[in-house]
Amino acid sequence: MPDFTRPYDSKFQAGLLLLPTAVVLVTFLYYPAVQTFRLSFFQTLLLGTKQTFVGFENFANLMASPEYQMSFLISVGFAAVVVVGTLAASLFVAYLLFEVDVGSSTYLVAAIWPYALPTAVAATVLLFLMHPTLGIITHYVEALTGLTFDWFTSGPLAFLTVALVAIWKQLGYNIIFLLAAFNNIPETLTESAQLDGVGRLKMLYRVYVPLISPTLVFLVVINTIYAFFQTFPLVDLMTSGGPSNATNLLIFKLYRDAFAFNSLGKASAESVILFVIVAILMYVQLTISESYAHYGA
Amino acid sequence: MATESETGAPTTPSASDRFDLSAVLGDDFYIHAALVGSILLMGLPLILALIMSTQSTTEIYQVTNIGIGSKGLANFQTALTDYHLMQYMVNSFVMASVIVVGKVALSLLAALALVYYRLPYERAVFMFILLTLLMPVPVRIVPLFQLMADLGWANSMLAITGPYLASATAVFLFRQHFMSIPGSLVENARLDGVGPITFLVKVLIPMSKGMIVGVSVITFIYAWNQYLWPLIVISDQNKQVVQVGIKYLQGASQSGLTQWGLIMAGAVIALIPPLVVLIALHRPLLETFALQQK
Repeated sequence: MPDFTRPYDSKFQAGLLLLPTAVVLVTFLYYPAVQTFRLSFFQTLLLGTKQTFVGFENFANLMASPEYQMSFLISVGFAAVVVVGTLAASLFVAYLLFEVDVGSSTYLVAAIWPYALPTAVAATVLLFLMHPTLGIITHYVEALTGLTFDWFTSGPLAFLTVALVAIWKQLGYNIIFLLAAFNNIPETLTESAQLDGVGRLKMLYRVYVPLISPTLVFLVVINTIYAFFQTFPLVDLMTSGGPSNATNLLIFKLYRDAFAFNSLGKASAESVILFVIVAILMYVQLTISESYAHYGA
Repeated sequence: MATESETGAPTTPSASDRFDLSAVLGDDFYIHAALVGSILLMGLPLILALIMSTQSTTEIYQVTNIGIGSKGLANFQTALTDYHLMQYMVNSFVMASVIVVGKVALSLLAALALVYYRLPYERAVFMFILLTLLMPVPVRIVPLFQLMADLGWANSMLAITGPYLASATAVFLFRQHFMSIPGSLVENARLDGVGPITFLVKVLIPMSKGMIVGVSVITFIYAWNQYLWPLIVISDQNKQVVQVGIKYLQGASQSGLTQWGLIMAGAVIALIPPLVVLIALHRPLLETFALQQK
């Protein structure tokens, strides 16, 4: 039986149609990615013009380096805080949106707009509003708590401040997907629970959360990738990795090793480790919920 | 009912009715209140930034002053002209437009091949595109930078657009959408002997308008947000994009005082284009996202 849904069979034409995409992917994605692996086995001097093969030495040095170990742990902790914080807040807002029937389209745009918020803008705005001496938010936080909120000198406070900005920026994307997931739940399932007189909060945790768990897994993965890979502007604009390396995330350390210290071999080894992280995350996502595609890369 | 609730007298009939009504009304009020509260909290930093973008440095230093400042729109004008934000905005527009048009065009062609051609090694082609999801910029940043230098592209528009012209996500979204188009249309096209490009232009694109707009919005917002790569590969300030441009603004100071009003104006300017795009086109965007959830 001929394949009616595939009217064309010229292999040459098909190749021609795929060629532009293939050229871009090979030149700017595959080739540099493979080069990263190669470079990670070399020690480079003089801006990469002199290369010496060193095997796994770059990796061994990174593993043994207390600075890298700290950066790794901080990044993992940062991802955990960002993932949990983003999901908790987004779940709350998305659930409210789902429960509201009237005027929800006005609410909708007002709730998802941070999707359009550039990370650098988020960083700049909160850098000022949470400024230890000039920030109005810091002023009222200090007035209410009686504590000093000087995140320019306190590592843990800087870590929390940067995480808060990361969460703020990521809310829109998460609310979009959670709301869509809520709306996909068959009404018959929720009606019976409502008849049983289950409260709203209980409904959320007992009924809705298990039903939308594939979306939650998807968002855990996306938010983790975001926390590892897309938070560079936050660190660069707000803390430069400080104070005392408390916000020196892997992505920022990679940037500095490569472009401030010109340790290209070492930086490439750091890239390879980031590759392993993204590979594990994508594997988890593809195995658990195959029906999702990834955005943002 | 009204008198009952005023007197608070217990009623015999429809006790359950009354219970439901008041519970629902009260509940709804709290839900709206919680929603409005959350939305205000999310928008508060932006509202404050907007207000303070009108303030002079003296007013900024009065920390709790949240009145409209004496500068009016002067900070915006200074940021756009004296601090060259206009130039950076133009650069960002060119970059984002090239990426949107290029990525949509290339992805439509690739999806056409994937869905409507009998391809040998289709699985391999699919995997070849899928695997690029594992290669975000930080994973290939050092060699990519060297490649730009070798190509003579460093410090140019080519460097900040070329690497973004193809993406697995866009190809797969169009592929998925094409596969949902009824087979009868395809059959008609086959019987009429319509060529592939005519089929794409006359049948597929008109049937994918919402999808194309949705992918364009996602791509525009993504491209506009780029920071790390332009920071590295563009060293000539005139050629820089606006996200890195607001970093330059941080150096703006007057008699030793950082001009935060000016910086807030810059941040607001850099946010406007993607925000306008989102507000205007949120419907096709949400429909495109919904396709992911099948």
